[in-house]
This record gives sequence, structure tokens and C-alpha cells, in this order.
Amino acid sequence: MLRRFGDIVLIAGFAAALLGPAACRRPKPVVAPELPPAAAESSAPAAATPVASTVREEPTVATAELPEGAVATRELPADLAALNQAGYLTDVYFDTNKSDLRPDARQALAANAAWLRTHSTVRILIEGHCDERNTEEYNLALGWRRAHAVKDYLVSLGVEAGRIETLSLGEERPFATCHEESCWWQNRRAHFVITAR
Amino acid sequence: MSKFSRLVPVLALLSALRVGVAQEEVYLRVTTPGVQRVVIAIGELPLLAGGDPLVASRFLEALRNDLRQSAVMSPLSDEAARLVEVDPTNAVLTRQRYRSVGAHFLLEGNLIASAGQLVAEVRLFDLASGEVAYSRRLQAAAPLAATMAHTLANELVRLLTGRTGPFLSRFAFISDRTGHKEVFLMRWDGSEVQQLTNHKSVALSPAWSPAGDWLVFTSFLSGRPQLYSLRPTEGFLKPISSLPGVNSSPTLSPDGTRVAFAAGDAGNTDIYVVPVTGGTPERLTSSRAIETQPAWSPNGRQIVFTSSAPGSPQLYIMDVEGTNSRRLTFADTFADEAAWAPDGVRLAYTTLVEGRFQIAILDLRTMTRTVVAGPGNNESPCWSPDGSTLAFVSDRTGRHQIYVTDPEGVPRQLTSEGSNTSPAWVAALR
Repeated sequence: MLRRFGDIVLIAGFAAALLGPAACRRPKPVVAPELPPAAAESSAPAAATPVASTVREEPTVATAELPEGAVATRELPADLAALNQAGYLTDVYFDTNKSDLRPDARQALAANAAWLRTHSTVRILIEGHCDERNTEEYNLALGWRRAHAVKDYLVSLGVEAGRIETLSLGEERPFATCHEESCWWQNRRAHFVITAR
Repeated sequence: MSKFSRLVPVLALLSALRVGVAQEEVYLRVTTPGVQRVVIAIGELPLLAGGDPLVASRFLEALRNDLRQSAVMSPLSDEAARLVEVDPTNAVLTRQRYRSVGAHFLLEGNLIASAGQLVAEVRLFDLASGEVAYSRRLQAAAPLAATMAHTLANELVRLLTGRTGPFLSRFAFISDRTGHKEVFLMRWDGSEVQQLTNHKSVALSPAWSPAGDWLVFTSFLSGRPQLYSLRPTEGFLKPISSLPGVNSSPTLSPDGTRVAFAAGDAGNTDIYVVPVTGGTPERLTSSRAIETQPAWSPNGRQIVFTSSAPGSPQLYIMDVEGTNSRRLTFADTFADEAAWAPDGVRLAYTTLVEGRFQIAILDLRTMTRTVVAGPGNNESPCWSPDGSTLAFVSDRTGRHQIYVTDPEGVPRQLTSEGSNTSPAWVAALR
């Protein structure tokens, strides 16, 4: 029902990201594909038949956790719009009228937090969004609550609070515009915008 | 009114009208069925020699239009007026003829339109008694001819009902007709639409000072929601709250000096108060729940607001100091957007009935609640400045539009271009 910010001139750094193409062409919500059935169950031979050759054991490679922030951000797209398009951070979704984090949201946020810990120069804006139900003003407050629920969880997972801006857009910038649950669930979300790499 | 004490038929008619207004039918029925409006004949109002006929006709056309749209008065029909033979030598006889075709009052006088000024000298005759019920000399610059007619129509309504008419009143509202949500103004009948902001951002929830000298609203102009105040006649925008959070849903104190609104950091939203000219906001509520949508009482002493503390949005009331907070709504699964009637007794608000927004009215004396259902979703109630009717937003046509109840009790659509929301009604601009 409403259009996104067009060519509005804003001032703050985070606002540039809000305005850019990334804000206009938001990544579609990622739906995790179902895992194929476990290989052991589906491809086990019916009888123990000797094989022609055996596979040699791979040489062991020593691995270690990288120190936090060690991955150079130069691996990332230089352009913020492209960076946001690439979908490094997953949006999370909420139940109607709620700002509590669902288990699927916590899982997505754990991955987001890990990525943010590894890319320690990246700064983000979390936008809180709502579906069109409730009044506009109530939804503005609810979106604010959602943005902060997400921020608080990321901080609890070790992301510095100073790297995270928050903004509520209430019901003003819906991702999907039909008037039923198939659209509403997509609009009850916290959306991530990378504002600095 | 004492002048009319002998005029039983008209008085009976007027008191019937008042009863209609005072009952809980304000939303769908302003007038009770069968109650007539006071019929006013516009008689001889000759333009004195040398005057500008265009100015005079603008005045008369605006006056006739106001009478046609009034809940209280109506103009004598053209058919009836044609039956009246005006006798220039016998005014008494002419008045009797007007009365015999159904007029209750006759407006006469003369117009002077020269030197850039319009002067109207008018007298209103009560045709039952023959007495002059009202006489006035109005004067204004010629371009204000319509405003002068609205002023006269307002005075006629006040004479008949004790409350001033709606003819100078205006709405501030939000429209997305430009592709962005901007603040617009229009007259009470939907005419003279005027775009007030051009932020190309998101503007929300305009609110007036009752005197019409301040307009306060939320805008994302800076990229974040901030609260701005504006003198519409001057046009200077002043940021008055940049607190963290939503800075939304302003309401002004009756004296127009203070603004209550919703804001707060760390995801929380509470009610704050700030001077309309800006300053340090003072916090009135402090809970972890969402507190939003304050509505300042007409006597200035209390604020109704919405709190999600019970698990769903419900209306609460507190003193303006933030003390004595208590819950008002218990029968609703959802209650938000309270609007205080000018009488200080009734609250209109948005409730949820069978999954749709509907408007409810809560009588604070009896604590009785009346739901006034209409087709589609109906929300954002807003009282007329005289408290006789409500404007509201409905999506019954598929888009959000602003409606107001007309004299026949039928909701009349005032807007049609784009989506139009958040009506705020003020008696006049200052």
C-alpha cells in the first residue's frame, strides 16, 4: 500500500543505506530447503559386495578457529548496495503482535552474530517492521520493540552494541502488500541493512 | 435564546435536535429521524450600486452551500422560494408569504462590494414572531467573501443551537497521493485540499492545538521519526522532540502550550510531554509495555493513552502528572486511538470486532460502551469541534478514506485521491 523511500535526501550514514537500491530491492526471505534424506539410509548396498578399490584416507589438515575479526572485509563486495544484495545477514520474522524471538529467529540470529563477529568492521541498521494490522502508531512502537529485541540478542551473542543502529518503520514500508497472512508474515520482521563495511 | 421563548414550534424543533445530538447516535445519526432542520430563506440581499457582482455572488453561493450542508439549517428550496411574491412596499406581507411556504427564518439585508472590501449588513427575521433574531454588519477584504459567508453561517448555527457551526473548520490529514505520506489540509466538507508538507518521506498523526494555531506531527524527514510543530499560517517547521524511539502520536494540551507524545529508548515506548515550542521532554509513564496514543482531556487535567501492559492494547487514564494511572477498557480485545469529545465525557476509540476495526464510544460517567459498526475497517475517530459528530477512516471502498457523518446520518466520503488517513479536525485556523 505504500512505496519505499524514493529519492528522499537524508543525512545520516545509515540513511544512505536506507535509501539505496538495497532498500528498494530487498532480498526475498530465504526459505531453507529441506535436507535430502540422509545418504546412509538411501544408498546403502543391499548386500556386502566387495568393491574394486578402496578410497585412501585423506591426510589430516590442522584447523584452528580464526581470531575474531581476522577475515578481511576486502573479501566482501566494495559497494554497500551489492553487499546488502548478497544476503550475508538473514532477516528474522515475528508472530502477530509479538516482539519475542522465535526459535527460528534465534537460529538465524546466531548465524548473523557469527558473521558479524568475523567481520568486525561491519556496521548494521536493524529495521523493525510490522504487518498492517493494528494502528500505524501502535505498529511504530511494536517495530521499535522488534528492532531492539534483535539488537539485544545479537549483543548477548557478542556483537558490540556500538555497531548496531535501530529504527522502526512500523507498517510504513511493507515487503509484501496483499491484505492477508501470506503477506503479513513477511512484513512482521526485523530487516538487516549493512551501513558500513 | 430568550428572544425565542414564545416560539414554541421552533424551540421544540431545536430541543429535539439537541436531544438527537446528545444521544449516543452521534456517529451514524446526527439528527433523529423525523426531525426537521430549520429552514432559512435567503431573501433580498441587493448589491448596492457600483459593487462588484462577482464578489457578491461568491458570498451568496458560499452561504447557500453552507446552509445546504448544515445539520441544523437548510435553505428554503428554490421551488418554494419561487412561490413567494416579494412585495417591496410591504415587508410584513412578504415575510408572511415566506412563512406560508415553509420558511422559519428570513435573511435580508444588503451587500456593498467596493474598494476591495465586502460589507454585508444582514438581519435574520424570525417568521413566527416577526422579530429580528439577529443583525450584524460583517466586513472583510473582497477575496475573503467565502470566509465571510462561513462566519455568518457559523453565527446562525450558534444562534440556533448555542454551538458554533462547522463552516470554518478544517481537517489536517495524511495522504499518500503524491507517492509519499504528507500532511494535507482541507475544509470540513472536503473542499480546498492543500498540501502542507513536501518532505517526500513519511509523515504521521497530525494533531492540532484546539485554537488552531499549532499543528504537531511525526515525520521521518531526518531518516528517523521525529516530532515537529508548525504554525500553519506561518509555515516554519520546528523539531520539538528527537528522543530515541518513535516520537509519535502527539496530542496538545487544551491551552496549546504542551504536547504529549510517545517515545523511548531501547525498544521501549512511554508517554512524554514537551513544550510545543520545544524543550526538555518530561516522562509520564515508565513500564516495559508499549505506551502510546495519548489524548489530552478537554479540561487539561487528564490524559488517556494506550498501553499493551495487559497483553493487548487497552485504554488507560492518568493525571497529567503521570499519577493515578488506571485501566478504562475491559470489554475489548483491542482498544487504541482514543479521542476525547469536547464535552470531556465521551471517548471515541478504535476497537476490534470479529477481526475488523470498528469505532466504539465510551461514556466515562456511566462507563457504558457503544460499538458503532460500519462496513470494512473503521478507525481513527476524530470529533467535530462542537462534538456533534465524528470523522473517521474506513477502507470500505478498498482504500483508506476519510468519512464524516452527514446530517442524514449517512457517512459521507470526503477524500478519494490516494489513501487518506489520520483526520484531525479543528474549528478554524489561527
